Amino acid sequence: MVLKVKNPGLYTTVQDLGRYGHQAEGFSPAGAMDYRAFMLANQLLGNDGNAPGLEMTFRGASFEVMQDTVIAAAGADMALSIDGTPFSIGVPIPVFKGSLIEFGAAENGSRTYLAVSGGIKVELVLDSASTHVRSGIGGYRGRTLEVGDVIGIGDAASAPRPYRISAIEEEEAVRVIPGQQYDRFNEEMREKLFGEGYTLTKDCDRMGYRLDGPELVAEGGHDVLSEPTQLGSIQVPKGGKPIVLLNDRQTAGGYARIGTVARVDIPKLVQKHPGDTVRFEEISVEEATALYREEMKKIRDGGYLEVNNDFRSHVRPTAGKLKRIMER
Amino acid sequence: MEIRQFAENALTIQMGEEIDEQINRKLVALRHHIEGMEIEGIDEIVLSYTSLIIYFDIFKTDAGALKEALEGIDEAALLEEEIKYRVIEIPVCYGGEYGPDLGNFGENGLSEQEVIDLHANREYLVYMLGFMPGFPYLGGLDEKLHKARLETPRVRIPAGSVGIGGRQTGMYPFESPGGWHLLGRTPVPLFDPGREETILYAAGDRIIYRPIDEAEYRRIEDDIAAGDYEIKYEMKGGQ
Repeated sequence: MVLKVKNPGLYTTVQDLGRYGHQAEGFSPAGAMDYRAFMLANQLLGNDGNAPGLEMTFRGASFEVMQDTVIAAAGADMALSIDGTPFSIGVPIPVFKGSLIEFGAAENGSRTYLAVSGGIKVELVLDSASTHVRSGIGGYRGRTLEVGDVIGIGDAASAPRPYRISAIEEEEAVRVIPGQQYDRFNEEMREKLFGEGYTLTKDCDRMGYRLDGPELVAEGGHDVLSEPTQLGSIQVPKGGKPIVLLNDRQTAGGYARIGTVARVDIPKLVQKHPGDTVRFEEISVEEATALYREEMKKIRDGGYLEVNNDFRSHVRPTAGKLKRIMER
Repeated sequence: MEIRQFAENALTIQMGEEIDEQINRKLVALRHHIEGMEIEGIDEIVLSYTSLIIYFDIFKTDAGALKEALEGIDEAALLEEEIKYRVIEIPVCYGGEYGPDLGNFGENGLSEQEVIDLHANREYLVYMLGFMPGFPYLGGLDEKLHKARLETPRVRIPAGSVGIGGRQTGMYPFESPGGWHLLGRTPVPLFDPGREETILYAAGDRIIYRPIDEAEYRRIEDDIAAGDYEIKYEMKGGQ
């Protein structure tokens, strides 16, 4: 056992890269929404890229460390502190028994991933640790974490790496591949979709993001026979407000789909907050595939890591203990 | 055969525009055929009413190579293929606390027994699964049982509930909110992560509901708890 939940945060779940191979049976893939941040956190620890970790949303969790280990966080900045001392994310941090890891509110993004050396250990469901809360399967008892939950880890991984995540620079636009019913949307509607942008409503969760903005009207109706959905499918129900389907989506949907968000831009989209604007740009499926291949190669080859010379990010083993002794 | 692509890792083959048993047969045959080709890099094949989606690993293959392999398939020959399917028997305790809406069909001029007789002991085709894990989209419901959904959906429908919504019948593998008329409940877990077949049926299979009484419901529940209940099914079609 490695971490005890003191405060579960707003919505914290165990995730890996998803439960694939069972969509035909109706299993939503689930999995880490910002796959890049998730993989990078694991990389810093020398974990397998798919090692289960925690996804925290908008407001992070707090944990008591139950055994010495190494952690790494990536994604949104959630004011990480250990025993009251602020730490930066994106670096491996040794933590010691009795310490308190605390995350606060997300500042530049909405999701933060916490990886633990060796990965979090939960019972796999259909070969995946990912939590799908709606069907109550996977992760920690099929649900979000609660106060008092005790989390175990897998076998010790290789040593953490003396790296940090480099700044990620990317274009602002979210690129979209023309979707199944693209031909139901005329030129005027396409201009709206790729125009000034859409606002994220408060109904944005792991299932999908409901957007507000120019109404998109489909010629020939918004309903279609139920069809398999894809990650990033932009469906447009009657009313014309698009919904982007994400990791916890239902595997079949019955609304016209104007497009599919390119995978390379999923991390960008899922880090946005309700109220933020998203601007869409058209891309061909070939170009989107090339970009996604490049991106995954960059992640796997360590292209987002740089040597870390900032030794302040390493916690001193005695600091926390001294602090607690002095408080007694 | 028209192959289209709407996502980096997926190819879509569309067949027809409506819910039709022949289309399903063709799609099932196509799935069977593609599986038999053992193409490197295919992760998963998913069926819907009128389409088949092939998910592939873009690091093992690419859309162009896959399309080429698929374009060689003789579409006309698909209906000739005799495809095996399973007929899975699902025991259902109709009425009472298990099926609180059985009486609603009085509005349609049907007694509870008549509803059971029309619903049970006939084969329903599994067109696809979705909505939630293991939720089957079934075809073959008698027209007399078509019924608009409840005006006020229930907040909680127990797992195993069998019901009717509009022109469809189906069952809930997980507890869920929903607006379907509940006819009964099965003691058989429709989702069981500990079972070799986590979900009991796939697109192309058929389901038969067999009426059981409350005593048998309890007995099956006990057998399942003890690990000695065997799901009854029959292989049909093919060799």
